[in-house]
Amino acid sequence: MILLKCPDVLLDSLENGHMVIDDKFIVSYWNRWLAINTQITKEEIVGKSLEEFYPDLNYKVLHRKIRTALTLSTPTFYDANSSTKFISINRNKVTTSSLSLMQQQVTISPYLPHENKVMVSIYDISELYETKLSLRKEISKVNKLNDILEADQEIIDKNIMMMKTSLNADIIDISTFFCEFLGYKKEELIGKNVSIFKSGDLPDTTYKELWDTIKSKKAWSGEIKNKTASGGTKWVQSRVTPILDENGEIIEFSAVYYDITNAKLLAELYITDPLTKLYNRAHFDDTINSITKHQRKADINFVLAITDIDHFKSINDTYGHQVGDDALIAIANTLKNSLRENDLIARWGGEEFVIMLKNVSLDEAKMIIEKVRASVEETKINNSISVTASFGLTKYIIGEDTHKTFKRVDDALYEAKKSGRNRVVVK
Amino acid sequence: MNIEFNEDQIDALKEFMNVSIGAATANLAELLDAFATMHIPEIDICNSHELMSRVKSTIDSDSMYYVTKQLFTGKFGGECMFIMSHNSAENLGKHLYNIRTPSEDDISDAVIELTNILSSTIISKLTQELDAQVQFFAPSSQFVDADSIINSDDLNHYSKIIIISTILEFEDQKINGSVYILTKDEAIESLKMLINKKIEEIYG
Amino acid sequence: MKILIVDDSKLARTVVINSLREIEPGAELFQASNGAEAVDIFKSERPRVVFLDLTMPVMDGYEALKQIMALDKNAQVIVISADIQSEAKLRVLQAGARNMYPKPISKEKMLQIFQQDLLI
Repeated sequence: MILLKCPDVLLDSLENGHMVIDDKFIVSYWNRWLAINTQITKEEIVGKSLEEFYPDLNYKVLHRKIRTALTLSTPTFYDANSSTKFISINRNKVTTSSLSLMQQQVTISPYLPHENKVMVSIYDISELYETKLSLRKEISKVNKLNDILEADQEIIDKNIMMMKTSLNADIIDISTFFCEFLGYKKEELIGKNVSIFKSGDLPDTTYKELWDTIKSKKAWSGEIKNKTASGGTKWVQSRVTPILDENGEIIEFSAVYYDITNAKLLAELYITDPLTKLYNRAHFDDTINSITKHQRKADINFVLAITDIDHFKSINDTYGHQVGDDALIAIANTLKNSLRENDLIARWGGEEFVIMLKNVSLDEAKMIIEKVRASVEETKINNSISVTASFGLTKYIIGEDTHKTFKRVDDALYEAKKSGRNRVVVK
Repeated sequence: MNIEFNEDQIDALKEFMNVSIGAATANLAELLDAFATMHIPEIDICNSHELMSRVKSTIDSDSMYYVTKQLFTGKFGGECMFIMSHNSAENLGKHLYNIRTPSEDDISDAVIELTNILSSTIISKLTQELDAQVQFFAPSSQFVDADSIINSDDLNHYSKIIIISTILEFEDQKINGSVYILTKDEAIESLKMLINKKIEEIYG
Repeated sequence: MKILIVDDSKLARTVVINSLREIEPGAELFQASNGAEAVDIFKSERPRVVFLDLTMPVMDGYEALKQIMALDKNAQVIVISADIQSEAKLRVLQAGARNMYPKPISKEKMLQIFQQDLLI
């Protein structure tokens, strides 16, 4: 063990305050740091009681801490977080200081137990304390923002239909509102592929267009018919957006939806014949007018057909109106099933139907319609009654007024009727 | 690393802790001029992330708590944690400083003082029993709700810890608190070595 | 001579037993790990001396002391406890214990107990 020759030099060189006091608070040592920071010199204070210089200290507490240190021979401490200061020392920091007094950590260690003397060490922890305070302030700000964000997220979750998917269209996240809309629970959907919603009623081209668009890193908007958990369907207006990483690569897709089921139902009702579920005359008129107005090459190459059920009046008279209605429905279904998906079929009135066959020659059309005529002949209404139908057929001549087209096709039908029914006449 | 403790080791550790708590209790009883009921210490070896649930199972989740932590280092190192409900701490402040309505600073200072005596006595007695030496660091005190006593983000989830816990209870003064001595990983090993040495001495 | 050692810790009992083996090598030793067991053994064996711990599960030392003293008011009980509060000592002495010593008990202390506290 080497005894220090100049302990004063050592203690004076420290950047901490060190004093030696006894249990009567008489100061027997006062280092340089204390002298500088308190403006009280060693000569002034040594031999005197700390109470003379710092009358406001809680000496009862200090005394107990000194006794504890001495009897347990262990250091005791003041709470470093406390706003009660041991001895107040002013801070001269001008910028950014929230502390005007030095925050201290005070340790009382046994020094000469038989003389009841302890060493009181004071460490300046103001910088640390300031950092702690400002950190606490920042944290409470962040917490507040987080609370707002969480509340917002909940509002979004409960009120907006949203979904996030992986590149393979597996569901990563989905809002509660969208889940409820489709009748699912969130946990049933996470990880599933979005194809679970496919209604099958949309042409594949719609999905292809969607995928081509978003894969090319563009957003897609459109209407989609989704299947619900219970097997029903819902229409949504969708906007699907690819989410890109910092390198511009797609990492996931996000989609927002808006329920348009009611609007879709209304629109469908508006263009549908309530009995046969075919389009109504108004929709057919609109379509054909729009096509002939725009004269787009892709659209105007069509053949118009009109058909009328033969001796329909006698069906009504013989079997009653209910069977008449059944006959109309059966024929409508036969027409639908024996024509192509993109041919437009509408109920024209009474027992008359109108058909637009797209992108066919008159000869091809005649062959198609011949087959349709045969199918009608084979159709059994209520499993027993057979009917026939007559057909008129004409090709739309580019640029002509549709009145002329209708006139021709009407003439053709008239001819078919006149020449014995159950046949196809082309004009 | 084998941190499993056998029955004899647990028994020994419990007994050393018992003696240490006894010394600490006597010091506190003298300070507070009160009588404390002593409780049998409990030893628990678990993963550090389980600490929170162990602590929470012993406290009322609706209260606010003074939590004082003091580090010690040496051949046997760790953390001494003292948890006291706001009610208890207020009673402690009243009793210790003889004032009717102690300020929050008074209360936290009283808690610090109590912890200081408690942990330094327990740890120095425990290490004396185990023939080791330790050094103490300044304790720090926080006033928090039950959920914030231990911040799970601060815990290393892969650490094994040993929890030595007991209750400090001054029934008449309505002051009570929980004492935890927490040690992890390598320090557990050295603790075990110290215990084994003592066991060998005693059992021969 | 029958001696009963009561402590929930095996280590603490062993510390007592180790010094007893040197001081009273001929003694017949009985052990109990809580107050209830101690009372049972006391009833059947009537040991001359009981070394009793205070903090124990099932039945603590205070209760055991009370019951032992009720069984035999001349029972010689020495309390050896980690509880070193002066009030604890006061309480056990009032309850009839011969004396109380802090843990852990040394051989020298044990010798002193046999010389000063016990009538053998």
